[in-house]
Amino acid sequence: MKEKRQRKLLPPALTAVLFAAAVAMLVFGSVEGTRAALTYYSETYASRVQMYDIGVSLNENGESVSWRDYNSAANGTWNENTGVLLSHMLDDGESVKPGKAYKENLSVTNSGNINQYVRVTIYKYWLDQDGNKMTELSPDLIDLHLVNLGTDWIVDEEAATPERTVLYYNKLLYAEGEGISETPLFADTLTIDGKIADKVTQKRETDGVYTTITTSYDYDGVQFRIEARVDAVQEHNAADAAKSAWGKDVTVNSGVLSLD
Amino acid sequence: MKKRSYFLAVLVLAVILTAGVGKAWAYFTTYAEAAGGYTIQLGDRTEIREEYEEWVKHVSIANDAESQPVYIRAKAFSGTAYRLQYLDDSGRWTAGEDGYYYYSDMVKAGESTGELLIKISSADGMDIPGGEKDGDSFHVAVIYESTPVRYDTEGNPYADWKSVLDSGKVEGGAQE
Repeated sequence: MKEKRQRKLLPPALTAVLFAAAVAMLVFGSVEGTRAALTYYSETYASRVQMYDIGVSLNENGESVSWRDYNSAANGTWNENTGVLLSHMLDDGESVKPGKAYKENLSVTNSGNINQYVRVTIYKYWLDQDGNKMTELSPDLIDLHLVNLGTDWIVDEEAATPERTVLYYNKLLYAEGEGISETPLFADTLTIDGKIADKVTQKRETDGVYTTITTSYDYDGVQFRIEARVDAVQEHNAADAAKSAWGKDVTVNSGVLSLD
Repeated sequence: MKKRSYFLAVLVLAVILTAGVGKAWAYFTTYAEAAGGYTIQLGDRTEIREEYEEWVKHVSIANDAESQPVYIRAKAFSGTAYRLQYLDDSGRWTAGEDGYYYYSDMVKAGESTGELLIKISSADGMDIPGGEKDGDSFHVAVIYESTPVRYDTEGNPYADWKSVLDSGKVEGGAQE
């Protein structure tokens, strides 16, 4: 009977202790992952709750057009808005002037209360009158002039296509009051290339001895479109967060982000 | 009793192993996005208007109401029997080195150029009497061209008469 007891895998008491320890680890592990932490100030016996709210905003010509900010104080809801780019580019009744450089200052603001790293993905393309993408028309004729490349913004060449450009802000974007909370511009003007007036299709119709050639503009009636999406990840374990959220290998060294 | 111990041990192990899973999901992320664009308006349709009176052609070019703004140039041809002289009351037609007369202002939708007057004289430059008419021998042709208004980066309009249309596609018909 004694030998039988010795063959047991673990004593019941030890199993119970391990079980209790595991439960405790699970509970405290979960607490770590929640969006609130308690900070005590022993000298004054005051306490406050630091809420970790991430938020980011896309700015156009000095105004926020889109944002998505976590609000833990409001039961973990998101304060968000998706705006429209270029809405003030033209006056009423004005049409796009090919060749003119329209002001299009774009930047990013940290609208949360934790520091973060951000990237921007820009898409440029043409739509037909039914809203279908026209891949045969050139995105290069939509010139969103990018600025501060190399100094503040890094182009992800591996992700680049004629339609898509991905930029990474190479510095930590601080929460308001912690440091610089708005990035330098990543674009400053938008120009529709005047070459769109040179691209034509000719239709030839022969009627007896007469041939009529009708010339139509390829870009007449089509809509140019730009999209900008800002992604933000937390400062802590930023490399892992970027890999997890963006699928991108980055290195963060002394606050400077670089692409692997 | 033995089975119960095994069960508890496996449960303990599972709890320990899964305790760290929550950390992998704890990254704070967010995003914001916006889009916008405009429809491009290109294309124009212009029409020449000619009136003849007392050996003077009155020429103007009109731009249709639905057209985009254009710049205009024009010139006339005649046989050796006549000499042509260009007159301009509007002050907006300017002679170019290529024989064309260029209208200085862009012609917006629904607008017309000022009149370009083409006076027809005899080969030696003498005025032809107003009453004289000879429809068989009188032949003066006026041609004109339009080009879409271009803009520099500041939005200032200009004409690019040297631009070459890129007719990458030709549809239908037979090439002669």
